[in-house]
Amino acid sequence: MPMYGDLGNKLVQHAKRTQNLQHLPAYQTELVRSVAREVRDLDREVASLLEPFQDSFDPAAEQATACTLLVNHMSMRRNKRCLLAYHRTRTDKLEELVWSGSDLLDLAGQQAGPGAANSMNGPGDSNSSSSLSPQEEDYVRQYGDLLAAYKGHWTDIDLTGSLEPPRDLFIDVRVLKDAGEIQTEYGAINLTKNSQFYVRQGDVERLIAQGYLQKLG
Amino acid sequence: MDIDDILREVDPTLHEVPQEKRDLQDLTRAWVAERSAPELLNWPSGELFERINDNIKRQIERVEEMTGDMDPKTNFALIVIQTELERFKYLVRSYLRARLAKIDRHALHYLSTDELRARLSDMELAYATRHQALLHNHYLSSFLSSFPPALQNLNDTAGNIAMVDLPDLESAVFIRLLADSMVSGRGVDTDNTFEFQESDIVILRWSDAKPLIESGRAELV
Repeated sequence: MPMYGDLGNKLVQHAKRTQNLQHLPAYQTELVRSVAREVRDLDREVASLLEPFQDSFDPAAEQATACTLLVNHMSMRRNKRCLLAYHRTRTDKLEELVWSGSDLLDLAGQQAGPGAANSMNGPGDSNSSSSLSPQEEDYVRQYGDLLAAYKGHWTDIDLTGSLEPPRDLFIDVRVLKDAGEIQTEYGAINLTKNSQFYVRQGDVERLIAQGYLQKLG
Repeated sequence: MDIDDILREVDPTLHEVPQEKRDLQDLTRAWVAERSAPELLNWPSGELFERINDNIKRQIERVEEMTGDMDPKTNFALIVIQTELERFKYLVRSYLRARLAKIDRHALHYLSTDELRARLSDMELAYATRHQALLHNHYLSSFLSSFPPALQNLNDTAGNIAMVDLPDLESAVFIRLLADSMVSGRGVDTDNTFEFQESDIVILRWSDAKPLIESGRAELV
């Protein structure tokens, strides 16, 4: 018979593994459900253990029962912490991805191809092979909105921009994928694959982050 | 302390520093401090960020005005201004992101008391509150709602372990003294107090360094 807490432990191991992964592994729907069920079972057991005493439970007189109750209570709380840790690790990861400007399709680990530049993907995205739970997809959408709202206060500073201190105003870039024409203050540049340009870093930062361009040197 | 501070000491008439320059110094200081302190520091008072935002806007407009000009001299000036602008923006960005990272990590802690909430700017407060609500909602819809009601809180203190995680106030920081002062620090075995002089650099626990920083007798490096 599996011990109390075994399932929770599994979740934490999943979370630990997630921390070191580039992508987000599939959401453990079944496991999460079982751990939550374990908590409910424990709670029911506690209630049924306490029932005969009718609010007059004396731990000193009934040490065996008191011990069972204690263990049950601890197991419930432990399970809760495991669940919280698991979800928090995943949301941290999701937030990271939102910051870096990935869209939901990328998050779900589908085609690596970049979709639209905005991070919203339309509400109709209910792909069954997604590695996110529906709740997590909601979360990503709402966090994206929240982030956009916060960024709205700092329109002149691209908050999601590079956190490396800027060294040069202009950089060499190579075009990895056709990105069409972009407007810069020195005129339009047509970004065709395998061409190379000397451009202002601020103009192309997004394109580098999205994988269209590669910074050289 | 930088070259201007030194110059000012030599020649006190130099202390007419333009506001823009002061702001940049303040920003740089706040940025360095925020990145090395283990807990969230106070949002700078005195409308520093309003002024900085205005400056950035002004410079962007300036750049746009000058862009049409093909004169090589203007062109060079343009590059200087743009480089400076990029650096300025980087400072602000890095500063805000450092704060957000701290807020995200210990959101419940910073939202727990009025004193701590006062450290956040209005925007950050709105962000933190909303973010926490989102998280709680996410937990609720994912699993918490199927729990017994007594277990649905996020701030249990059962078993003497609080669920609200706190920043580690005992981690080590480097500080540079801005004035001669006595520095006392708590060690593992013994506590010590030493007399240090201006511009000495000391490593000690943040909880010991905090009063010195707040009184302006030291800065974080």
